[in-house]
Amino acid sequence: MMSDVRRQRRLEQTVIFLGLLALSLIWLTPFATVVLSAIRGQGDLLARGVFSLPKKIAWSNFAEAWSTGDFSIYFRNSLLLIAMKVPLGIFIAALAAYPLAKLRFRFSGAIFIFFLAGLAVPVQVTLQPLLVMMKQLGIANSLFALVPPYVAFGLPFQIFVLRGFFRLIPSELLEAARLDGASEWTAFLRVMLPLSVPALATLCIIDVLATWNEFLIALVLISAKESRTVPVGLLQFQGEYSSQYTLLMAGILISIVPVIAIFIFLQRYFVAGLTAGAVKG
Amino acid sequence: MSEITLGARRPVIVRRRRWRIPVTAIPYLFLAPATLWYAAFLVYPMLQSLYVSFFDWDGLSPTMTFVGLENYINIFAVDEVARLALWNNILWTIGALALPTFFGLMLALALNRRAPASTLFRTIFYSPAVLPLVAVGLIWAWMYNPHFGVVNVTLKAVGLRSWANGWLSNYEMALPATFVTFIWSHVGFPMIFYLAGLQAISKDYYEAATIDGANAFQRFRHVTMPGLAETHVIVLSLAVINGFKVFDLVYTMTYGGPGRSTQVLGTWMYFQTFQYYHAGYGSALAWVIAAIVLVIAIPYIRRMSRG
Amino acid sequence: MRGLKIFAATALAGFVAFSGGAEAKDTLRLMTVFDAPTVKLWEPVLAAYNAANPDVEVKMETVAGSGAAVYPDVLRTSMASGDPPDVFFMWGGEIAGPFIKAGQVEPLDAYYEKYGWEKVVAPWTIDRITRDGHKYGVPFHARGMGLWYRVDLFEKYGLSEPKTYDDLANICSTFKKDGIYCASFGGKFGWQTMRLLDYFTETTCGPEEHDKLNMLQSSWNQPCVVAAYDRMAQWVKDGWLVPDFLNVAPNDARMPVYSGDAAMVFEGGWFEGVLKSDEQPLENYKFFLPPTGHTPVRYSAFPEQWMIPTSSKHKDQAAALINWMTIADTQKQYPEAFTASATIGVESDCAVAPRDCEWKKLLTSDSATYPPTDQAFTKELIDGFFEVQDGVVAGKITPADAAAQMQAKAEAWKAKQKS
Repeated sequence: MMSDVRRQRRLEQTVIFLGLLALSLIWLTPFATVVLSAIRGQGDLLARGVFSLPKKIAWSNFAEAWSTGDFSIYFRNSLLLIAMKVPLGIFIAALAAYPLAKLRFRFSGAIFIFFLAGLAVPVQVTLQPLLVMMKQLGIANSLFALVPPYVAFGLPFQIFVLRGFFRLIPSELLEAARLDGASEWTAFLRVMLPLSVPALATLCIIDVLATWNEFLIALVLISAKESRTVPVGLLQFQGEYSSQYTLLMAGILISIVPVIAIFIFLQRYFVAGLTAGAVKG
Repeated sequence: MSEITLGARRPVIVRRRRWRIPVTAIPYLFLAPATLWYAAFLVYPMLQSLYVSFFDWDGLSPTMTFVGLENYINIFAVDEVARLALWNNILWTIGALALPTFFGLMLALALNRRAPASTLFRTIFYSPAVLPLVAVGLIWAWMYNPHFGVVNVTLKAVGLRSWANGWLSNYEMALPATFVTFIWSHVGFPMIFYLAGLQAISKDYYEAATIDGANAFQRFRHVTMPGLAETHVIVLSLAVINGFKVFDLVYTMTYGGPGRSTQVLGTWMYFQTFQYYHAGYGSALAWVIAAIVLVIAIPYIRRMSRG
Repeated sequence: MRGLKIFAATALAGFVAFSGGAEAKDTLRLMTVFDAPTVKLWEPVLAAYNAANPDVEVKMETVAGSGAAVYPDVLRTSMASGDPPDVFFMWGGEIAGPFIKAGQVEPLDAYYEKYGWEKVVAPWTIDRITRDGHKYGVPFHARGMGLWYRVDLFEKYGLSEPKTYDDLANICSTFKKDGIYCASFGGKFGWQTMRLLDYFTETTCGPEEHDKLNMLQSSWNQPCVVAAYDRMAQWVKDGWLVPDFLNVAPNDARMPVYSGDAAMVFEGGWFEGVLKSDEQPLENYKFFLPPTGHTPVRYSAFPEQWMIPTSSKHKDQAAALINWMTIADTQKQYPEAFTASATIGVESDCAVAPRDCEWKKLLTSDSATYPPTDQAFTKELIDGFFEVQDGVVAGKITPADAAAQMQAKAEAWKAKQKS
């Protein structure tokens, strides 16, 4: 009887696996197109069709995209921006989410709604006031001009999500820490944050990607080439009357390498909880 | 269980303090950095746009004409495109609530295990999110191209010639086709939320349910779903909010066309503000979007997260 | 926590670095739509200017992106926030309209007198950028559009360049018979489809009436407009155009032509450069001005121009820079950076760029042109025009209804302007 269950289990697993495999092939078709377009000549791509196989592989596209596109500048800026924005934003979001999830105080409901309201704000209408503000702060046109709006626009979402996940952490754990004499600050830092690693990792990934790909604010707030980020840099391959598709696609492939690496690195924390349970079991 | 693990791993350090912050002030101190930052760089510019929404202004001239509520009245009374856009937003939001959310949950359940294949699949299903918008727009325009696109070519090859059509160029198909791209690019989003949510459900519950003789479906219904309640609130309310705010994908893929058939409130606001030079009217549209989102999302979030 | 400290330190260092730099010379900000290859062509041009003028430093800022999609948005925000460039690139006609109406663009009449630009650039381009009797810009590019065709396909079916509209119709039905689309269009954004409709309107209404329509001095709800819409509907219905093109991007519309599935595209003089960068055989492509049946045969053309914002602090230096970029002496030294120039007497090398050379001769001669409708109408009105045009192509609006709807939109727009 036991072996019957096991056999059924295995069959189930195989069906799920094959389903996932088929689905992921569909999911990868657009990616395959990006890759195919990045490794061939422009004439080959346009005359023979974007879904045909390349006549000749043109690896040189990558080097050319890197140099004509001045990618080294944009890469440095985007990475620097992520290093500044992501830890800062998530940390202050976590700070705010903690009392909203776990402490009782006056106006907590109102403050939560106040932050939630930010989710509803369309970023487009704030561009002009933001540019004026950055000018007054004297950081318009520099990479630093992007940190204030990026952090601000990330907060409502991050506070909302973290509050939700913090609520899942049993309050008894915090209570135990407090009984041990820990301050609220210590309880937050030593109990809440370590237990929320999957949620924090999830937010980090979303935030890294959002920051890496943000286009509109970066486009409007920064006009100097030295301070531009990768998505705005990609515009350069699209001229007034024609696009250099192959270089654009090569540039895109180059540009997604670091984010894919970050994703693969961070996603191990998604299943951190699983192991804890497994050890116990 | 966790107390012990935790205690063993990270001993809680107790320090003696010379002075103590009043207990009642503590929550506000935690909230202070976020509140200040948020007020300065989001609330303040948004209030400026609220101010602008009561004016007739091209967004360029030094002079603005006060028109009171006229912009708001025009949105509902006069502007036919705004009405169409609102309808498109409603359809989009319903779709966003149902499809990517459901697929995301299914994927999370299937991939919630520690195996090399799971890691690979998770990366694949989340990977569209790493592509910049310009790439998504270009590639999908090619895939949907009526002449050489891979979608029509595939349909014809598998004997579904009658299904082939103009997709983005077709008044009726343009929005659904854009939505398919949306599913492709966004399914990873609910997926990783559900993956994170599943971590919070203790294995003990599953073991207990199995011992009680619950089958897989019963375990899903009585253990998984209740355990994901908090995650559902997050995923569903974000689906609503982003459904009404949708802009990027529609703007890139259809530019509101053909005709104006795929205009949504977000694109219409952008056209009004930036291309037609009606900054006042565009700001009013932005506030209408915000109001709709808040009216729907906030009561839901409050109700679900009580207690 | 450590991250936070590092951030604070970096940020502080940044602030200091940005506020500390003392400026010995004036920086002139030049804003363009140039893409990466064009920027490279322009590097020596600006380097030469900076070397010759030690008191200024010209810095180019560029917002690329196809077809007036991104650039005006950025420009507008920078102006409204009081942070405009000193010289900026702009298309002709109504795309510049809102900036001028808002008082953000400096009238350059005095500089025209000082530098004598009226004699330097093609006269029709100056007409086209003049507004309310003032000249707000200096023409930089002169661009004309026509039908570009595949020489091999024309030869294969024994076709020659058409002299009348009927010739053109014959060409299309010949191709249709042989399973080749006559022309390929990309309807996304509306302006490429518009080129064909503009040509029909020029043909059915004639030059005088066409101009009046563009200035909204004549009713759109008249038989010749209906006839133009009718032709559009006919071309689609007869399968002369690659079908389902309403949301195909204009650049992607070239692909069926490159692959030989379609014979023609409606493009401007820039198409020679496009063919080069798309690695297509230049000798296989020629263009003709579509026959209108009226004399003179007018064709669609528009200038692109340099403008100076009212709020620039360096207007005189900006004008000097524009002058240097406009005069033939400069342009002849950097022929690759100045293709499609509006300046008289700058010939392109006919051996290197034969089509550009042909266009150049046409555009700086006294040939007659009409503006593309998207430069005659404001963006708000032209989007209404595109909506009607899309409806006709999709068969959702009859030509007669289309003419009536277009007139209704024109009247609504005029009423709005008055209030």
